[in-house]
Amino acid sequence: MTDSPPDPDARADTRAGPGRGLTTSTPRWVKVFGIIALVLILLVVVMLLIGGGSHGPGRHTPSGDAGGRTPPTSVTEGHTPPDGHRR
Amino acid sequence: MTPRVRKFALTAHVISSVGWLGAIAVFLALSVAGLTIRDAQMVRAAYLAMELTAWSVLVPLALASLLSGLVQSLGTPWGLFQHYWVLVKLLLTMLATIVLLMYTQTISYTAGLAAESADLRELRNPSPALHAGAALLVLLVTTTLAVYKPRGRTPYGWRKQHEQAVSQP
Repeated sequence: MTDSPPDPDARADTRAGPGRGLTTSTPRWVKVFGIIALVLILLVVVMLLIGGGSHGPGRHTPSGDAGGRTPPTSVTEGHTPPDGHRR
Repeated sequence: MTPRVRKFALTAHVISSVGWLGAIAVFLALSVAGLTIRDAQMVRAAYLAMELTAWSVLVPLALASLLSGLVQSLGTPWGLFQHYWVLVKLLLTMLATIVLLMYTQTISYTAGLAAESADLRELRNPSPALHAGAALLVLLVTTTLAVYKPRGRTPYGWRKQHEQAVSQP
């Protein structure tokens, strides 16, 4: 949604005030965002480790051949994917 | 881009992005229904509907949102890597699209179980609700970024601005 092409930063990030000078540093919201992202990534990694690595792309493959969940044989033998939904 | 093309591209981006958000809300409702409803037929129907929603609505809208977002940023002075909010939005949209494309395999597998009258205990799984909840959160963040456009140029953005200022005295 990158509407109204502009230069919004011309005012804000070049604030020249007493003892301030030209501010071209990383905005606070980006730093906060980065910290939250880092915490979430660590949380996911810890959850994956606790779960014994049973999550990930391999888990999403029906055959489970990438080290993930293997569906019961009775299920895999008879399962025919619905038409038009295969890649 | 001419103003007319830019308006058209923006409209396409808003429709696909907001549509994607709405489709995830529907998917979340279906996944919660799959976990909580007692009627076995309704539970199976919910998981089958989840697969249909994923392939026919979620994936097309996600790709359309990503593509139209790229067109919007590259076709306007905002650029793709010049402003933090555009960059963060791009990364989040890419992340959500990649996870969705990977997760469609799980959705199809679960729908296959539902179609074959598998045990409901095997069918019921909190994973779709968790993924949908996380996706909803990510898209709420991207929508908020798009509306508020928080200030902040990347180092690359500052260099580009400086180059433009030098070339246009």
